[in-house]
Amino acid sequence: MSGIDRREFLATVAAAQGAFVLGFWLPSRAEAQTVSTTAWYEEPSIREVNAWIVIAPDDTVTIRIAQTELGQGVWTSNAMMIAEELQCDWGKVRPQYASANRDAREKAPDWTLNVPGSGAQDPKGGGVPTFGNRDRVGVAGIPDSLYRRMRTNAASSVKDGRYYLQLAGAEARERLLLAAAAMWNVPSSQLTAKNSVITHPASGRKTTYGAIAQRAAETPHPHPETITIKSPDQWTLMGTEQKNLDVPSKITGQAIYGIDVRLPGMKWAAVKTCPVYGGDVKRYDFEAIRHMPGVRSSVQFPIPDPALTRGRIFSGGVAVIADTWYQAKTAIDKMPIEWNIPPVNAAFTSANMRESLIAALDRPGTVRAAQGDVDAAFRSATRIVEATYSTPFLPRARMEPGNATVLVGSDRVDIWIGDQSPQETRFSAAQITGIPETNVHLHLCHLGGGFGRNGNGPQAEHAIMIANANRGTPIHMLWTREEDFIGTTYRAMGVAHLKAALDADGWPIAMDVRTAMQEGGFGPEASFHVTSRYFVPNYRYSNHTTNFHVPVGTRRGVGQAAHEFYRESFIDELARAAGKDPYLYRRELLARTSLPYKQDMITALDMAAKMSGWGTPLPKGTARAIALEERGAEGEGMATISAMVHTVSISRDGKVTLERVDVAHETGFGLVNPLSVKKQLEGQITWFYNDAMHQACTIKDGRIVENNFHAFPLSRINEDPPVINIRFFPTKHWLLGMGHDRATSVQSAIGDAIFQITGKRYRDLPYGKQDLRWT
Amino acid sequence: MAFDLTVNGTRHTVDADPQTPLLWVIRDQIGLTGTKFSCGIGQCGACTLHVDGRAVRSCSVPAASAIGKPVMTIEGLSRDGTHPIQVAWKEFDTPQCGYCQSGMIMSTLALLRARPTPTDADIDAQITNACRCSTYHRIRQAIHRAAALMKGQR
Repeated sequence: MSGIDRREFLATVAAAQGAFVLGFWLPSRAEAQTVSTTAWYEEPSIREVNAWIVIAPDDTVTIRIAQTELGQGVWTSNAMMIAEELQCDWGKVRPQYASANRDAREKAPDWTLNVPGSGAQDPKGGGVPTFGNRDRVGVAGIPDSLYRRMRTNAASSVKDGRYYLQLAGAEARERLLLAAAAMWNVPSSQLTAKNSVITHPASGRKTTYGAIAQRAAETPHPHPETITIKSPDQWTLMGTEQKNLDVPSKITGQAIYGIDVRLPGMKWAAVKTCPVYGGDVKRYDFEAIRHMPGVRSSVQFPIPDPALTRGRIFSGGVAVIADTWYQAKTAIDKMPIEWNIPPVNAAFTSANMRESLIAALDRPGTVRAAQGDVDAAFRSATRIVEATYSTPFLPRARMEPGNATVLVGSDRVDIWIGDQSPQETRFSAAQITGIPETNVHLHLCHLGGGFGRNGNGPQAEHAIMIANANRGTPIHMLWTREEDFIGTTYRAMGVAHLKAALDADGWPIAMDVRTAMQEGGFGPEASFHVTSRYFVPNYRYSNHTTNFHVPVGTRRGVGQAAHEFYRESFIDELARAAGKDPYLYRRELLARTSLPYKQDMITALDMAAKMSGWGTPLPKGTARAIALEERGAEGEGMATISAMVHTVSISRDGKVTLERVDVAHETGFGLVNPLSVKKQLEGQITWFYNDAMHQACTIKDGRIVENNFHAFPLSRINEDPPVINIRFFPTKHWLLGMGHDRATSVQSAIGDAIFQITGKRYRDLPYGKQDLRWT
Repeated sequence: MAFDLTVNGTRHTVDADPQTPLLWVIRDQIGLTGTKFSCGIGQCGACTLHVDGRAVRSCSVPAASAIGKPVMTIEGLSRDGTHPIQVAWKEFDTPQCGYCQSGMIMSTLALLRARPTPTDADIDAQITNACRCSTYHRIRQAIHRAAALMKGQR
């Protein structure tokens, strides 16, 4: 490894606008053996104002982003939350990833630890971030380390980060003002700050942030706990549509993803893991391929420690290391490998898993709601309606296959990766290498799609294990698409049985809901727990589990995506059984509840219905369907509520077209970047269309069958609805987030449109497998 | 084996098996990483670049097939984002994760060369690249805008 010299790699990605810099620091071999005194992220010539903000003499504001940009717009929205309070020139803002290493070594400032305000319905406050003790295996909990939550998950970057990012901007602004006040010997209360300029109106004196920043860096705030954040009525940048700062780099090919990282002396690793989860390598014959071009060595690695992969059991495997990835991949494809496959896991098929889930519905489950006397009400029913629905295993299949580049020295680990949970990856690196977390450096890159934090799977763990066996050599491990289908986590396959007792007018008097997914699936209670969203006086909900071998995780929408399909499909069926309009049926059942946000849900339905022309005539073969989308509406905490009407046509030969979508979406007290919200809504519409019509992973002999895009179809532009209308309405609470669970309504809506047009009711997704022809 | 490739107007001598897919020679030998790997079987189009003016899924053609022909990647379109397609892409803030967008833009370039004023049906038929974030709604608008810009209709 003499090829590695001490140097700093600065991959400067400067575009005309929105320039950004990724700093790649690479230690020399000698330096890797000692603790470096200079951290890669520090710019020695410029002192930071605080851990989030560096202001250069030319007024450039570097804002450190502790979440990962994966298309949701966090690179821009996090920066907006800070810049709003900093009152800097937005055109001079330059995002940069925050240091996960520094996060291991420094505690969060005290002034970030207390959430201002009084909860979800206080416009002046910080809402209800998901605080808790640090928990490496759970999704809840924000550590009290420097950057608090570095996860990018659960659509929570605004929900959890807003108040302390606003505080970070405000603290820096106040210190800039204090520094200017000291320089001019005037009270800081006489100064104003706007657009990176500080003015003393009484004397006409002005200075710029760039000119005063170094003094501000040396000026601690005497009472940072007194600093407040702006409420939405004071926002000037937040709440406006801002183009995303990463876009210029993504249209020129200059954005750096994990797969693009190149280091001197770097070798490439291709891997094969046992295609049946829980399996391991029995033997492999490296000698058979050792002579192939570029091939260097091989590494067998075990099933990643479940303690590092949130309890999930993936597979053991083997890596071939070569000069280029294609050489490594070509060689490993020819290498004989035998697997140890647990027979019980190899016995799983989609059919027997479905049977197990259906059987689980009839075993005792976890009761999540029990109101009234359900059994008595069923005995007095005029009519009983029941239905069983199912949803398949679904991967995220992000476009960038799993990868990571790792260099393990004797006392330092460097990892270049697009990662949704860098704090956990840091922990994994320490556990695997025995090198403390404080010596683990993550160099965060953009991620080519996310769609669920745990879906990154053990990409980092594979690369760390391989690099740990090749200390001193940077190893870039890249999964093939087929390996990505093994290495990802899946949204759990699910089934649901819903049963309702209707009175003589067709209104439900009792409902018994049972859902089942495999143990460990995420959101097993979603959308039905605590109480029914649609009024029913006698309500019972239980969720049931069984054990399968597939590593399940937080795929976009988690349990809610499936459960809203079940719930909204069933409400459509009840409305049809009652002979009532599905929009007005929903509206009346919401109106009868005492849910705190029922008016918001009704507003969403009314607005979407009106936007769509609900009730006006449509051509034969075209139908509208409506559905409610909510998260958090069971209580009075944070929530996100929307409704959509989908206009769907079906040709006589069964071709489904989503013609038009009308979206009514709440803003809560305020959206940070409404442009990003619109983009997320548009994207999720076609995402869930794709789920509803095409996508499924099936299991045969314990293996995932559909493992590349020839068998796992992705919707293309021809399936994007020609018309998407989005309107927002204000509400009086903070939002839970909207990056992953909007447009779930596409699923039930297409089902009801199929029923309206063809007379057939299908309850198993995806619909594309069904006979949709009609005459 | 050494052979020459001309990429974005620059001649490169590369030492690789000429049967290596063009994608990997472009990314790992020549060092242009704007062209992406995703499926490896020519399905998704993330690796789309131009060989001799035609859009090619570079994961599925050998590098040898590009010998003696001009190759253009996203980096050859314009480094500063001023090509009309890039300008239109920025106007609609089109990318989300952005991983597919190099291929999407290169497919759009091929479409607009063949059909300077594409209809929606042309777009549906010719833009067969996959975008997992489903940025299609803005891609369609941006293609129409790019077509107008390329004809100077501002």
